[in-house]
Amino acid sequence: MENINAPITRFMLDIFNFLGGVGLLTRQVVKELFRGKFYGKLLIEQVFQIGTRSLPLIVVTAVSIGMVMSLQFGLGLEKFGGKLYVPKLLAVTILREIGPVFTSLMLAARVGAGIASEIGSMVVTQQIDAIRALGTSPIKTIVIPRVLACLIALPLLVSIANIVGNAGGLMIGATELNLDPSFYLLKVLSTSTLSDYLSGFFKTFFFAMFISVPSCYFGLTVKNGTKEVGIATTKAVVVASILILIGDFFLSKLFWIVERSV
Amino acid sequence: MMATRRGVIEVIDFHKSFDKKTIHSGVNFYVRKGECLGLIGGSGTGKSVLLRSLVGLEKPDQGQILIDGKDIVPMREAELVEIRKKVAYAFQGGALFDSMTVHDNLAYPLREHSKLSTSEIDKQIQEQLEEFGLLGTDKLYPASLSGGMQKRVGLARAIMMRPEVVLLDEPTAGLDPYNTKRIQESILSLKSRGVTSILVTHDMPTVYAVCDKVALLYEGRIGEQFTIEQLRQEPPGIMSQFINGESA
Repeated sequence: MENINAPITRFMLDIFNFLGGVGLLTRQVVKELFRGKFYGKLLIEQVFQIGTRSLPLIVVTAVSIGMVMSLQFGLGLEKFGGKLYVPKLLAVTILREIGPVFTSLMLAARVGAGIASEIGSMVVTQQIDAIRALGTSPIKTIVIPRVLACLIALPLLVSIANIVGNAGGLMIGATELNLDPSFYLLKVLSTSTLSDYLSGFFKTFFFAMFISVPSCYFGLTVKNGTKEVGIATTKAVVVASILILIGDFFLSKLFWIVERSV
Repeated sequence: MMATRRGVIEVIDFHKSFDKKTIHSGVNFYVRKGECLGLIGGSGTGKSVLLRSLVGLEKPDQGQILIDGKDIVPMREAELVEIRKKVAYAFQGGALFDSMTVHDNLAYPLREHSKLSTSEIDKQIQEQLEEFGLLGTDKLYPASLSGGMQKRVGLARAIMMRPEVVLLDEPTAGLDPYNTKRIQESILSLKSRGVTSILVTHDMPTVYAVCDKVALLYEGRIGEQFTIEQLRQEPPGIMSQFINGESA
């Protein structure tokens, strides 16, 4: 009986450890953010690493998804004579869901892995201890710049992904579905509302936290050498992706309630 | 327990366990101002853990660590900053920031804790590089330095803030005789400036060269401290066995 329960107990303990650890880390981040020195240069470096360097990946992902979805919507709706609805459907889907979620998932894979492995390696090589021993805080110098950089970069990347994704849809709409490009663009602009955009945009701040804080947490909790760096990296990507996907449902529901009440 | 003040550093009834394995079971020792204490003991006896605890990188399960009479055990990270300005820690592998050049590694503590201008910082860095025989390495990244150079840069960085106490974790481990001698000279130079130090090492020639006293960490405790003269003349009991390789 004990053997059957042991993995479940361990799994539950791991979840509680993670929740507690991430909670404490978030509290420390908030506490130290408004106290003492602010490392602007490190923040700019991280915005470049996380934002600018992710741009090609995000653009390729967004344009591909926009093109594929436009094609699939076109083929599906053509049977019912609804090809003209492709621009509206695609725009709303990209703005509300696909843009923020796919961009965040790609960022979780690229940046989450990078953050966890970089911090994990710093733990293993005692660089985090050195930061502390030199009288500075790894939260201020390592964690806060990465969290803030994600909070700045992700909304911008999502905004770019929204534009590029719709451009990809327009390209396929014009070439494969024989829709007039001006008509496509007009439909996108006239049928997409600000609330469509904001509903997706606000999610990105939560997704940025879902990526950055667990990734920093898994990096900082590496203990037993380089093997654990790999495990931490995997955990960071998996956990961030799960949080984004599960969080997306609840955030969509929340924004849906808010939109209905306004 | 009331703190009695016998030295710049005083450790009282220090206990530490990891995963139910007891490492320290009541360590007591002190180091007087300007002294260099050699802390020796077998591998895995917890010398580095003890050293890390002196700068607040580890917390003991029980006991007191007095630095200048102040118990650092209950202190929070923010309070430990002032202690860490006075007590420098030189890591075994150097623990250099691999994303920064040697220059930036050395500038790090000064940029953080002093109001020196860039030119003053550069001047101090050049002086430090010269003292440690590292001139010309300032633009290099740690990955392009040898192990010995990394250790010397690590030690140089640790003492950039002119600390009162320096904790050295196996500074000569794995080094050739030339680099070992340079590290010994650096420690002696610190001593001549009145800096108190604790040297964790297995390297007995270095102990004889730089330490005033030696303590053996054995079975979770530290017994009596012996002077180098006592050690040279007639190393007592277990200390003699350890030095001669007859016990771990």
